[in-house]
Amino acid sequence: MTAPPLLEARGLRFGYEPGQEVLRGVDLTLRAGEILFVLGPNGCGKTTLVHLLCGCLEPAAGAVLLGGEDARALDARRCARAVAVVPQDLDGVAGVPVERFVLGGRFPHVPAWRSPSAHDRAQCRAALERTDAAGFAARTLGQLSAGQRQRVHLARALAQESPALLLDEPTSALDPGHQVEVLDLAREQAAAGSGVLVVTHDLNLTSQYAQRVLLLADGAVAAEGTAAEVLRPETLRPVYGERLWFGTFPDSGRPIVLPRGGDASE
Amino acid sequence: MDPASRSLRPLLLGGGAALVALVFGGVVLGTSGTSTPDQALRGISAALGWAEPLEPAAQAIHELRLWRVLCASLAGAALALSGVYLQGLFRNPLAAPGLLGVSTGGTLGATLAILVLGGYGPQLLLEGSRAWTPYALSGASFLGALATVSLVLGLARGTARTDPGTLLLVGVAVNATLGGAFVAVQAWVLDDWQVSQALLAWSFGTLDDRQAYHVWMIAAGLVPALLVVPRTAFALDLFQGGETDARRLGVATGTTRALVVVVASAATACAVSAVGAIGFIGLVVPHIARRLVGTGHARLLPAAAVLGALLLPALDLLQLALLDRRLLPPGAVTALLGGPFFLSMLLRHARGRDL
Repeated sequence: MTAPPLLEARGLRFGYEPGQEVLRGVDLTLRAGEILFVLGPNGCGKTTLVHLLCGCLEPAAGAVLLGGEDARALDARRCARAVAVVPQDLDGVAGVPVERFVLGGRFPHVPAWRSPSAHDRAQCRAALERTDAAGFAARTLGQLSAGQRQRVHLARALAQESPALLLDEPTSALDPGHQVEVLDLAREQAAAGSGVLVVTHDLNLTSQYAQRVLLLADGAVAAEGTAAEVLRPETLRPVYGERLWFGTFPDSGRPIVLPRGGDASE
Repeated sequence: MDPASRSLRPLLLGGGAALVALVFGGVVLGTSGTSTPDQALRGISAALGWAEPLEPAAQAIHELRLWRVLCASLAGAALALSGVYLQGLFRNPLAAPGLLGVSTGGTLGATLAILVLGGYGPQLLLEGSRAWTPYALSGASFLGALATVSLVLGLARGTARTDPGTLLLVGVAVNATLGGAFVAVQAWVLDDWQVSQALLAWSFGTLDDRQAYHVWMIAAGLVPALLVVPRTAFALDLFQGGETDARRLGVATGTTRALVVVVASAATACAVSAVGAIGFIGLVVPHIARRLVGTGHARLLPAAAVLGALLLPALDLLQLALLDRRLLPPGAVTALLGGPFFLSMLLRHARGRDL
């Protein structure tokens, strides 16, 4: 059985400058209950893809379908009710109290001209508790560590209650302990019926958490499949270069990929 | 206590009471002597059509005082509100209508309207004023202010997104250019003493000889800005993380931006066309309001409007009490107090502290 797609990209093309395409025909599908990882080298168009998938950018060609409807036909509120994004660090919000920041996730549910209701506030408190961030609800974002801030960003996306959840490099600023915590939450979210898409550079977390992996290179899909299918020398070396070491986790047999520096003792 | 959790009600109620007291004080006190409260009350009632007027000379004096204090109050509210709107939009606590050139743009628009429509006259008034002429003035002022905000917004969005320094420099450049145009107009009409006086009054603001229709002009800009608070407050909170982030959360950023630009320009322009350019209210009042109620716009916008409505008439009355007859233009007072305040904000910012 396959769940209906929450999010689909069909032949997405996009460029910021004429004649310089960042994405050259990307297809992807995100279904309810699954966790999909998008990999790719710096500058391959990952963040652009996230902007397109949440309706913040319009594709030059192709389409993004949210719950089967073309994102261009949906207003901002309906896009936000279909897709929530956990952004990388935002600037300008250091002075914002955590509680008010998370309340932002309720915006698409609050009718125009109205203020957030008691129900909206309850949803925010629940989201903060789920991400173990309730303890610092009264602080401002600038007073938090990178890991705490990431949990607050995630809480805002959960408060948004959108079926599709996009995480843009959620672990890049985190220590290993917090990395697995955040991805555990993402996995729980998928198990609870969301579709979760994680954009990351971390091949080994991908190996452990991904149900499906999409490898982007030069603005196009270079490979797609399970972690075991994609995280192999013959698919990764053409994209990341030769200096990779491949192994397997002894307990699960899942692939390990490490960057291989020159050894000073050799 | 955390400012964000403090209730807004005491501020609004206390502010309302203080405002009534200020208006009454403003009618009792004046350059031509102090009235009895009884007389003042009758003067006010008569001006509103609720009672028989006093004898004509006394009635005229009381009405002038009433329109003066109401103009000061509404203009203070409009400028403060406009300041919060622009600061939210530009994500910058230093983006005030005076500093971005919006007031100058409004002044220039109104000035040009006087020249183009002809028949200009003293005290910012069109000679032989037909009923619509003051509103044509406000309209032209609005266009000038709107064009300026759009220009600054375009330049600021095109260059540095949020850097306060760059935005202020854009404001300085725009202000200088528009100021130059204003001086050119002044030079051109220098022979006409009355008009020169009027334009001078405009550049530092004036509360003298205001009429009932000046009150209505300011209200016409202030009321829409107040009415859209519930529509814009939540969205402006989300602008803090940038427009992309706001858009991801479901904010129709283009509509919100346009709405805020229009109401903020109109509020500034209507105030400017009725009482001239009075600076720093749009910078100082929002700053104080943030200290009192936090940075959430649902609370900040009404709080700034109330504080602005109090500050400008309070300064005017204070002047009257301290300086007696030699009153300074209101813009000079706000500049003398606001300039050093602005400098201290800049220094705090330079030391990397929160504004």
